[in-house]
Amino acid sequence: MITPVAVLMLILPAVGALLSVVLKRRARPAAVMTATITTGLAVWLTLSTFGAPYTRMLGDLPWLHGIVDTPILGIFVDPLASLMLLVVVPIGLLTVLYSTAYLTDKNREHPVGSEHYGRYYFWLLLFITSMVGMAVSPNFLQFFAFWELTTLCSWALISFHQNERSLRAGFKALLMTSAGSAFFLLAILIIFVRTNSFDFSALSKLPDGLRSWVFLFFLIAAWAKAAQVPLQTWLPDAMEAPTPISAYLHAAAMVKAGVYLMARTVSSGWGIPPKISLLMGGMALLTIFVALSFYFVQDDLKRLLAYSTIAHLGYVLLGIAIGGLGATLGFRGGVLHIICHGYSKATLFFCAGNIAYVTGTRNISELRGLGRSMPLTATAFFIGLLSVTGVPPFACFWSKFMILSGAMRLGGPIGPLILVLILSETLISFGWMLYVGQKIFLGAPLATAQVPSDIPWAMNVTLIILMIGCVAAPLVGMPLVQLMGK
Amino acid sequence: MVNAVHHVEVSIVILIVGSLVSLLFARRRKLCGWVSFAFVCASSVYTGLAVAGACTVASGEHSILSLPQLGSSLTLRIDPLSAIFLAIVAVIALLSTLYSVRYMEHYAHDKVAKFFPILLLCVASMTGVLVCTDFLFFLIFWESMTLTSYFLVTFESENAASQRAGLKYFIITHGATLCMAAAALLLWRTSGSFSFDAIRQTLSAMLTARPFLANAIIFLFFLGFATKAGLLPMGDWLPDAHPVAPSGMSATLSGALVKLGIYGLIRLFCSFLVVSPSLKIWGIILALAGTGSLFVGTLTALRQTDTKRLMAFHTIGQIGYICLGLGVGVYCLDMYPALATIALAGAILHAVNHACFKSCLFLGAGSVLYRTGERDMDKLGGLAAFMPYTTGTTTIASLSIAGVPPLNGFTSKWLIVAGCLLTGMRFPLFLVLGLIALFISLATLASFLKVLGSVFLGRADENLGIKEVPISMIVPQVVLAALCVLLGIFPQLVLRFVGHAIEGVTAMPVAGVNASRMWGGLFLIDGSPVAFWSPLAILTVLAVLALLSYAIQRAGGARTRSVPVWYCGEEHAAATVRYPASSFYLPFKHAFQGIYPSGKVHVPKFPAPLRRALDFDQWLYRPTVKVIDTAADRISRTHVGILQIYLLWIVIGAIVVTGILLWVRG
Repeated sequence: MITPVAVLMLILPAVGALLSVVLKRRARPAAVMTATITTGLAVWLTLSTFGAPYTRMLGDLPWLHGIVDTPILGIFVDPLASLMLLVVVPIGLLTVLYSTAYLTDKNREHPVGSEHYGRYYFWLLLFITSMVGMAVSPNFLQFFAFWELTTLCSWALISFHQNERSLRAGFKALLMTSAGSAFFLLAILIIFVRTNSFDFSALSKLPDGLRSWVFLFFLIAAWAKAAQVPLQTWLPDAMEAPTPISAYLHAAAMVKAGVYLMARTVSSGWGIPPKISLLMGGMALLTIFVALSFYFVQDDLKRLLAYSTIAHLGYVLLGIAIGGLGATLGFRGGVLHIICHGYSKATLFFCAGNIAYVTGTRNISELRGLGRSMPLTATAFFIGLLSVTGVPPFACFWSKFMILSGAMRLGGPIGPLILVLILSETLISFGWMLYVGQKIFLGAPLATAQVPSDIPWAMNVTLIILMIGCVAAPLVGMPLVQLMGK
Repeated sequence: MVNAVHHVEVSIVILIVGSLVSLLFARRRKLCGWVSFAFVCASSVYTGLAVAGACTVASGEHSILSLPQLGSSLTLRIDPLSAIFLAIVAVIALLSTLYSVRYMEHYAHDKVAKFFPILLLCVASMTGVLVCTDFLFFLIFWESMTLTSYFLVTFESENAASQRAGLKYFIITHGATLCMAAAALLLWRTSGSFSFDAIRQTLSAMLTARPFLANAIIFLFFLGFATKAGLLPMGDWLPDAHPVAPSGMSATLSGALVKLGIYGLIRLFCSFLVVSPSLKIWGIILALAGTGSLFVGTLTALRQTDTKRLMAFHTIGQIGYICLGLGVGVYCLDMYPALATIALAGAILHAVNHACFKSCLFLGAGSVLYRTGERDMDKLGGLAAFMPYTTGTTTIASLSIAGVPPLNGFTSKWLIVAGCLLTGMRFPLFLVLGLIALFISLATLASFLKVLGSVFLGRADENLGIKEVPISMIVPQVVLAALCVLLGIFPQLVLRFVGHAIEGVTAMPVAGVNASRMWGGLFLIDGSPVAFWSPLAILTVLAVLALLSYAIQRAGGARTRSVPVWYCGEEHAAATVRYPASSFYLPFKHAFQGIYPSGKVHVPKFPAPLRRALDFDQWLYRPTVKVIDTAADRISRTHVGILQIYLLWIVIGAIVVTGILLWVRG
């Protein structure tokens, strides 16, 4: 029963994508339907495999007969994959739902005619397929294939508006993430040549010196995908994409692929060399502070959120690095941060979308006093920002706290050092985010912001569900992450 | 005794449900208020039951949720100390909600949807803070309390001052919370658990093994709690946040919320730390911080002309008193348990009393604001003629905060000062602090005489059309004023439970305050009459004297004449000839000009060179792409599209390859 469901979950969005191309202007209902069913399947799959990881190999590559004996393509659902599915698929559904209302000719920022629907939903649903395929990958090869597919979808969707800026941004993102992918491929080739296998477990069969290199290559790939220093510059530019895409691909899902790769490699065998863990943790801290330094100069709300995303992916990598150094609690916290941050940041981006939809601008300096005309958006934005900055009792507090407790498990001065750095970053980013939130939503409304607002119900429903997610994400994630670890 | 915990759980659930239900009725201003009030009533009844069940002995523990990998669990327990504070929260929440039902009409622009539901959540989290025995969940309730109160402070969304104040409040207190989180994590590193018991054990072990770290942890905790309590300089958020909040919320903030900081300090110094000589230093620090706060806070209050801001500064001052008592108590815990009891009892009693009179004062200021729209005392005057109830209750509360016997403020201040002076005989520093506290009591009285004089006395235009506030706003004020009188005359009512609380929290069989004799006044259990104070006896004497003087006046047949003030024959409007608030105490104001420095925080500027260095695109990626692009350009120049040239390339290539082959072979 599990295999058909998993395969259906993988294929259904792809079918929806093709349907969208066929249906063109009437693509929206088909997209919503397929995404909804996929979400149901993902939830079912998580529940039915809870506590009992499930592997089933299905397909083969004919030209590898004789070299690799076991089948190569298949389904692998463990707590980590379940957690990823619960981020990727439900937020995917919400994105599709939100897009049906957001991408219309009523949008004041970028009116979109119905002739573009086919193209948009094709790439969006294909992206869901590729994320699902990546999440349930049993080995590096399948992982890599879907990984590259996400890059492709990202490129197409960033450039969706096809103006000068978005084309440039899409190309930049493609270039930088592909450069990372090259290292990914290199790592896979090394593993394959040495062990004749693409399995995750093959990592532990490598000799120590070589394993360091392989992990380093994986790490570089993850940096590129997750927009970490020094490869972070593509993400802020990618904000040229339509806002639902920014929320989904560039906050909740695609950028999480990078950290998912590291979580996968670290947790399969726990053989990551301490040097690489230290490098990963150190760069994560550096990323967090570099991203923080860019907060203060952003006037574009979406770019501000993008830098915050960069910082929070740093948090995830920090947690995983702490796990790699031996404190499983940190790893669990890092993985929990994937789901907590996914929902929280998506909330913020959709709020930014609402603002752009109504006012036609994303510039913080042009916005003030929106709380009066958009109470729901204001509520969601504040909940989202409190969650993202780790204010209890919201989602990210739990994951940040777990990462910190993991850090405290490490011996020596590392733990307290991380504690001090992270807490100071938390306070500064919290203060700035709150300042921005107040600036946008409170105060006397500006003339530019005084718009007769009538936000479509689909956008409001999305926000309400995500607000619940901002509180409930750890409730879902906690039981799953408890199953991870040595 | 688990029952008590269940009652509290029910109370929290009622508040959360009430918050959702009142949200449903948010469109109708009054109905929303009454619905919320009904829920707060129900929850207060349950909290009251819990308090009644746990005010002498601690209740059992009830564990709701467990996170074994973090070594934490949501465990609830009520001991006599938390029972006292729970009672404060329940009473103040009930009265402020009742008051707010009509008061919120004052804000025509802002919807009550962002007031009542959040107020209920705020009360729920305050209740949670008090019954939690696990530091992780304590932090969660604590920060929920901060964030809900932040939204209440910024309630007036179009008022720039309220946003500034809210931002300042939230950032400062969030920083303090992070300090506490750091402290808890540092402790967790050794103990692996967040429960209060584990904290006590680890901290006491650490004090001997690694004293520096232990004291650093205590300092972080202290910072966290003291910021919320409003001790200067961390309490700088307080004078901004209190005035801009709706008055019902100001009363809750000052009456209940900042008290939780005191609750935390008592827990930290009396319960988390075992009795040891190191407490002495912390006692001195606490006492000094308290005295600093009461000195600066009260003297700054003298200068204020905004009623609510003045009261906010007095909150800082009164919290200073509580901390002074706490400091003396902590100092004495090790050597003089009897003195420690006096001082601690004074501190806790003052927390209770402060909740009564300060909430009453804020509600009074709110009533004035509700009817006149003014907080500026220079523009107010003569309201006594129109608002008799508000005038009466505010007068009682003012006298009470100034420590005029036999009102409740006197009893607790007396205990605190007595503790100071008696300890001062052994360690003279406290003698000085006690004297400062006594002197500042006078300044408190002075500043409230200014409030009473400039707001309520004097003459006002008859045809201003000002009326007394509605009955639902009068009731809370009257109840609080009545409590001020009642607790002043019968301090035993509270002191009995305070004795249990001190015994429970310090885990020492200290001599509790004997409060069983109504006429005999306050003694220690061992009978020594230190801190003797018998309100009823003294009240009787005062009453007899008053009667006597009245009788003498009657006997003498003196007549009272009522004549208008003579303005040298000129006619003036009432408002122009009133003695304005800003004219009070000018010499004082000049003498203490720079006592409360203030500065502006600017948006941080980022150094430009660093910005350029961090812009990887500028110096790394664009040049790289450019180099690759130029290189590709160069190579593509070889593709000229002429067949002969390509043939030439092939021939040259063949020659080169052959040459190399020959060279290799040969």
